[in-house]
Amino acid sequence: MRVVLKTRPREKPRIPIEAEEIIPQNFLRKDDITVYYGNKERSLEDLFFVTIEGPAVSPDQVEVVLTGETGMIKRVGEYMNAGRIIIEGDIGMHCGNFMSAGEIVIRGNADAWLGREMRGGRILCEGNAGHYCAAGYRGEKRGMRGGTVEVKGNAGDFTAEYLSGGEVIIHGNCGDLPGVEMRGGTLVVGGDCARPCGNMTGGTCMVFGKARQFLPTFRSNGSQEVEYAGKRYRMNTFRGDVANRGKGTLMVRA
Amino acid sequence: MAGILIKNAFVIDPISGIKGEVMDIAINKGKIVEEAPPGSEIIDAAGCLTLPGGIDSHSHVCGTKVNFGRYMSPEDMRAGRTARKGVMHVTSGYSVPTTFGNSYRYSTMGYTTILEGAMAPLEARHTHEEFTATPHQDMLANTLFDGNWSIMEAVQEKDTRRAAAVVAWVLAAAKGFAIKLTNPGGTEAWGWGEDVHSVHDPVPKFGVTPAEIISTMIRANELLNLPHSVHLHCNNLGVPGNYQTTLDTIELAPDLNRERQSLYLTHVQFHSYGGSTWRDICSKSEDITRAVNNRPQVVMDMGQIMFGRTTTMTADGPMEFKLYMLHHNKWSNHDVELETGSGIIPVYYGRKSLVNCVMWSIGLELALLTRNPWQCLLSTDSPNGAPFVKYPEIIALLMSRRLRENERRMIDPRTEHFVPLFAIERELDWYEIAVMTRAAQAKALGITRIGKGYLAPGAEADVAIFSIRPDQVDPSVDYQQVMAGFSRTRYTIKRGRIVARDGEVVVEGANSTIWTKAIVPDAYDMSLDPEFRKKFEQYYTVRMSNYPVQDVYLPRGVRIETEAQL
Repeated sequence: MRVVLKTRPREKPRIPIEAEEIIPQNFLRKDDITVYYGNKERSLEDLFFVTIEGPAVSPDQVEVVLTGETGMIKRVGEYMNAGRIIIEGDIGMHCGNFMSAGEIVIRGNADAWLGREMRGGRILCEGNAGHYCAAGYRGEKRGMRGGTVEVKGNAGDFTAEYLSGGEVIIHGNCGDLPGVEMRGGTLVVGGDCARPCGNMTGGTCMVFGKARQFLPTFRSNGSQEVEYAGKRYRMNTFRGDVANRGKGTLMVRA
Repeated sequence: MAGILIKNAFVIDPISGIKGEVMDIAINKGKIVEEAPPGSEIIDAAGCLTLPGGIDSHSHVCGTKVNFGRYMSPEDMRAGRTARKGVMHVTSGYSVPTTFGNSYRYSTMGYTTILEGAMAPLEARHTHEEFTATPHQDMLANTLFDGNWSIMEAVQEKDTRRAAAVVAWVLAAAKGFAIKLTNPGGTEAWGWGEDVHSVHDPVPKFGVTPAEIISTMIRANELLNLPHSVHLHCNNLGVPGNYQTTLDTIELAPDLNRERQSLYLTHVQFHSYGGSTWRDICSKSEDITRAVNNRPQVVMDMGQIMFGRTTTMTADGPMEFKLYMLHHNKWSNHDVELETGSGIIPVYYGRKSLVNCVMWSIGLELALLTRNPWQCLLSTDSPNGAPFVKYPEIIALLMSRRLRENERRMIDPRTEHFVPLFAIERELDWYEIAVMTRAAQAKALGITRIGKGYLAPGAEADVAIFSIRPDQVDPSVDYQQVMAGFSRTRYTIKRGRIVARDGEVVVEGANSTIWTKAIVPDAYDMSLDPEFRKKFEQYYTVRMSNYPVQDVYLPRGVRIETEAQL
């Protein structure tokens, strides 16, 4: 089944749409999907042109395509556990919250909290991601626990904060403090970043660009070769964050 | 406001000596009366359990430290959200909910009066502001005196009368209700990076011991004829082997008051540990309850912990630091100049942790081993042991041995080697639960004089009607019904008005704040004392004239005046 949701022209396009109901499994079971436009609850048809093609017997056969002015739509794919969502343009905050399986592909940019506290599945963002990509929400002690987040462009500050499992790959640059408070999992930064992995206690982080303002609380642990994007790189390896009795591994290109 | 007539209520009212009778209750103009006026609303209680409005004698619901708990735990604020509905505001939070969250949840459980466990006098305004936003309960504030410098100096000079005079002035200034001592001396020592480890350890700089502070304050309290006794959080909270400190403290309590206890010990569960390290921690509830059983002048509350996530907050700064060193999670520490301090950390009590299982058992043992239910009150020191919404579960555990046995299978199997809980056969009855949740609180706080805690004519019309029919429910078997019954009332009536019905709040509410003013002779009026004034202006960062809480902060203040014997 292929569900195409094209946004209708809105009078006030800056008002966010909260759309946690847009997940593949809902299109199989429910026909009264509602979303919030500002503080008003609206039916899906009020805000989108909906076209549904083909049958499906299980949620993994459902593909949802979002097109049009999608940059202010929040929480798409929250608690998603199967199927596929393709976003043709940009997407708002909290895309893929808590998702446990399935796939989300974003052709444009993603706003903050992409893949927040995600448990499994795969997110691919072909543009840039905002702050707190693949992180834990305010106060949470465990961020992303499983699955994969891949960003082709850059990501903002606090990427993969509290990462405890799974893999986060940022091909471009990261902002300040990527992998801060990391507990497990793998973070790969293809470009530059600043102050990586403060307070990390576990997991592995690899930085293939420059790591600016490198924190002094990491202990050098030799060097090793690592393959990234088809090439082999020699990496300086560090253990830390020793300020927090951490046993994480941080590698920076030599 | 027309009256209300509650018909066929199964009433338990321990203070009036009613131990379960089917009778009618008439309410008019906010009071219980003999006969309802014509045209009264009639509620058919149909044999359901009807009790005086619940009173929580130790809970942390309002004030700076609670608020700090709120904003350091955004994850907790996401945990208990309810949407706006009718007159109900939106609420959020589980262990440290918003003020309306606290108020609504207490109200639907039948609670109409709450005592805030610790208010720093310097920060009293904030507490009073939050009190007015807790509209369904009458509020009282325990005022912290544990590290008050003027008190310490008075104790140093062994001048009980001066200590009493300081208490009188501060209570009236902060609009507080009673004296709270939190780790007396220890919080002050924490200001110097230290702690006290027994009641005979001297406090740095002042050289006084906790024992001296406690004894002086008990006597000062009686000199002022305050309604409540000294409300004490003992030294060494949460330290294995601390039961000895607690026993030493109980030894200090003289019997000075015929109407109520002379010393109220709060959250005693946290103070009844044997052993010497976390590995061999064991229950000493038998020793503690033996001491309490022999001393009618002492009343305690349980401080039960329940498994799950919560936030601990106390004026006991050093203890919170020790907890922080165990958990390495977020921690907040706070100093209140010349008065006290506080600390806050979030915790998780788990069934897999032997220490937590022992703590859980101790709380229940205290309630079950104390012979007189008037001496052991039900509390969780909310939210330190568990949020107060767990009270129904605790009631069920106390009333059903079978439930305790079920729980035993789920907790760490080693627990039974460290605690006597599972050998205790006692199951509390409805009357004892009524005592432990309202009557004993009213008596211990001394607020029966303003009509709290009973249902005889003349009392405040605070009534809780539960959907439990005591003639049909056997609490030792039907514990699920007990839990469900106590978690939401059919009706909660506050000052003659129905405020909650079937778990839903139906009116906006307007509460009052109860505070005490002891009338002292001019010679003991601290605002006229030159030395006190001088030190105040010298050391405080606020002026003495700006320190007292103005009446505007208490839109519906109820003042209890007492005549001091100075």
